[in-house]
Amino acid sequence: MPDPNPPAPPPGPAPAPQAAAAPAGPALPPCGPDEVALLIDGRPVVVKKGTNVLQAAAGLGVEVPHYCYHPGLSVAGNCRMCLVEIEKMPKLQIGCATIAAQGMVVKTTTPRVGTTRAAMMEFLLINHPLDCPICDQAGECRLQQYSAEYGKGQSRFVDEKVHHDKRVPIGERIVFDGERCIKCTRCVRFCEEVTGTRELTLVDRGGHAIIDTFPGKPLDNAYSGNTVDICPVGALTWKPFRFQARVWFLKNVPSICTGCARGCNVDLATYDHKVHRITPRQNADVNGWWMCDYGRQTHLPAQEGKRLERAAGAGAGSAGTAAGDALDQAAAILQAAASRHGKGSVAAVVSARLSIEDLHAARTTLAAAGIERVAVPPHDEGADDALLIRRDRTPNARGAALVGFGAPAAATAAALAGDIATGRVKALLVIGEDPAGDGWLPASALQNLEALVVIDAFRTATAEAAQVSLPSTAYGESEGVFVNCTGRAQRTRAAVRPQAAADPVWAILRELGRRFGAASSWTSAAQVFEEAARTYPAFAGMTHRALGEIGAPVRGE
Amino acid sequence: MAQELLLTRNIHRERSETIDVYLRHGGYEALRKVLKGTTPEALLNEVKASELRGRGGAGFPAGMKWSFLPKTKDKPRYLCVNADESEPGTFKDRLLIEKDPHLVLEGIILASYAIECHTAFFYIRGEFHRGARTFEKAIAEAYQKGFLGKNILGSGYDLDVLVYRGAGAYICGEETALLESLEGKRGLPRLKPPFPAVVGLYGCPTIINNVETLANVPYIAERGAAWFASIGRPKNTGPKLFCLSGHVRKPGVYEAPLGIPLLELLNDRAGGMLHPDRPLKACVPGGSSMKILPASRCDVLLDFDSLAAAGTSLGSAGGMVMDSSTCMVGALLNLAEFYAHESCGQCTPCREGTGWFVQVLRRLETGQGRPEDPDLLIDVARKVEGNTICPFGEAVAWPVGSYVAEFRSEFDDHVTRKACPFGAASVR
Repeated sequence: MPDPNPPAPPPGPAPAPQAAAAPAGPALPPCGPDEVALLIDGRPVVVKKGTNVLQAAAGLGVEVPHYCYHPGLSVAGNCRMCLVEIEKMPKLQIGCATIAAQGMVVKTTTPRVGTTRAAMMEFLLINHPLDCPICDQAGECRLQQYSAEYGKGQSRFVDEKVHHDKRVPIGERIVFDGERCIKCTRCVRFCEEVTGTRELTLVDRGGHAIIDTFPGKPLDNAYSGNTVDICPVGALTWKPFRFQARVWFLKNVPSICTGCARGCNVDLATYDHKVHRITPRQNADVNGWWMCDYGRQTHLPAQEGKRLERAAGAGAGSAGTAAGDALDQAAAILQAAASRHGKGSVAAVVSARLSIEDLHAARTTLAAAGIERVAVPPHDEGADDALLIRRDRTPNARGAALVGFGAPAAATAAALAGDIATGRVKALLVIGEDPAGDGWLPASALQNLEALVVIDAFRTATAEAAQVSLPSTAYGESEGVFVNCTGRAQRTRAAVRPQAAADPVWAILRELGRRFGAASSWTSAAQVFEEAARTYPAFAGMTHRALGEIGAPVRGE
Repeated sequence: MAQELLLTRNIHRERSETIDVYLRHGGYEALRKVLKGTTPEALLNEVKASELRGRGGAGFPAGMKWSFLPKTKDKPRYLCVNADESEPGTFKDRLLIEKDPHLVLEGIILASYAIECHTAFFYIRGEFHRGARTFEKAIAEAYQKGFLGKNILGSGYDLDVLVYRGAGAYICGEETALLESLEGKRGLPRLKPPFPAVVGLYGCPTIINNVETLANVPYIAERGAAWFASIGRPKNTGPKLFCLSGHVRKPGVYEAPLGIPLLELLNDRAGGMLHPDRPLKACVPGGSSMKILPASRCDVLLDFDSLAAAGTSLGSAGGMVMDSSTCMVGALLNLAEFYAHESCGQCTPCREGTGWFVQVLRRLETGQGRPEDPDLLIDVARKVEGNTICPFGEAVAWPVGSYVAEFRSEFDDHVTRKACPFGAASVR
């Protein structure tokens, strides 16, 4: 094929048009040595060197439509939707691959740009099935969005569309529709550049070009769900979410994932008091744009797990025990053990999965009850990976240490189990942990206990063995602050109503504490956190409001 | 004065592809001369002064391209020879590769010396089985005689040449897709900038030259830039291989100075039209990607600038001659099918537009066209052109746009008659 573009520009960065030659218009503002100034639609803007035109425009609030460009991936330049006019360049240039240069004059609203965007929309849609009514992406689809904004509303295409396989299970959790695909290759680049797992590629040519997996290599990496998030159309869908809800009914509640010590920022998509999916929310300091597939299921135990439905106490009937009675009983049996065997015979197990609020409430209550011995068991699994997943599966190990419980340690848990086995410890308050189910406290040792009180969201093996069990809220039902592995304090939020009788752990502990003489009167997690911020120097000056949606490093980090 | 044959000087000789025949007729003299005392810089300047323009299609001055290499030498430099000759109507490089491989090889060695590279890749079209074999053999002979390898002719200059065979994709003739393919990847054109001279093969500075371009270099090295520039026309210098195919009595490859009139090439060299009773209808002077010239505008000179002025391009000089029996809708459909098949599928306008052209043209050719279809073709072509990653967009938009524009009434005829006036012979 002959190259019809003889005037090959000189190598190296494209020559910057001279600022002096810029036409009449606003003067370019001065800029630093690492910056360039340019005009976009007649408005001056200063950006860092190396910024592309698309990002520079975004800085002015000017949207340059695009499909294939993603700030977390390399530039592919294949969708051609971001073509803009740049003075002194005869052809339109793609905003994603054009680096802003000093004095550059960019125009994104000319008739030529408009005609070209409409043309690209027409091209993208001629072979698209237009099956929006049954497409999960509908409502958050860039084809729909740009079609409305830049398309012509009708097609001149009257011929047969190219057909591809639909509903291809290209991975354990992902379904691919070849006809909806616009070949932007975001998913291919994600698997090459972010996970390095390279399951995907483009096969065949021309109109028959299509995304496919390599033989025997399904799209099953630990981060595969991100390909669904970044797919600008409905080609990749997340199996658990298929046909579950129309996205315009969903309300995104900003939260964080509590699946490991990373604390990826997420959105909890809720509708009808149910979390339907979890997607990553951008936070450059934590997770970038991504999250792992494991984290996308953080809401499932609360929905599908065996919940503790009501407070239960000794001698209670099938109707359960009134919460107040259960709390009275809990306090009574813990106190009885203490008076019978001495203060040292009562211990607690506190979870590093609890929020700062819960942990602070635990400290307050344990102090009032005179319980000094506390174990915080670790939950390690596998190893840290190169991207986000941490071996430490507790979301608040750093927080537990900062609140004064020390870091989770298997040794203290094992020592406690030993003392229970030998009868040195006779009473146990377990908050958010399952020593029996996790296997570090055998059933034989459990039988030695005279008193076992459990606060948990789930009907765990330990809760089953308890004299008193108090139901707490699960993920997505309450809010709180967690400190991730890099020492960043971040908030989870309540997205759905708590299950009938469940209360936040801090509220249960407030009530239990009162029975030991504590005088806490918090009525919200925010209030608990304010008290915690006054108590522990790491959180000094912090409030829920100040932490906002992206959190902040704790003091000393 | 009879024209001295240069590029085709040896092709009719018995066993012209062997090094013995090549040496017997002055082969590798240019290399000896250069290695005896010409600096790389001097050779590069000589090629620059000769105004040799690339013979692959773009016609970019070769010496200037070479001078775009960064001055720093922290990375290896590569020469990639583009022998992926796939443009419909073009078969000139094949002739050189099969019949005079040592002329090409001598050009490669000289070019490598001029740009100070020590590894050259010969990327040859997958279907060129014979060419690949012949060239491998030529390389082996050159190693044996000391024209390749370490310390060539005692000069201290080292060069290795490797043959890499393509897998049968037209797009790999596009220089950056060629680099991708050579790196073992899918042949998708790269975004430019960066240009290959800066970031090319394996991220290193790379020069990509066409086979015929390089075959000129031994002559420039031996006889000088001034002599070379005296051939042809100003800014369009040197000898050129012209392919002629289609309705012509003697189709083939013809050597002539740049600027030979199209009609002289057709009538005096190629024996005129195939059928005396079927006059010339149209000619594509530059390979299938270039705009078509109706017979009334075929009185043109065959060089880069003259054809640009005539609204088309010399391209790869793959001239295609069509007589009055040719259905332009059918001819364009045939071409469109080729482009739809060869589009790499990477960027939107080309991937979607090429298939659309085929469907519309097939309808027109089979009598199912709509009155708005010819305008649709022109409009879609306009929206492909200039908006793609690589020149493939133009390569399909130019023929589509120009065939419809130049032969509009014929397209309309297909619509009104609801049939091909030529009997739809070309529809498969």
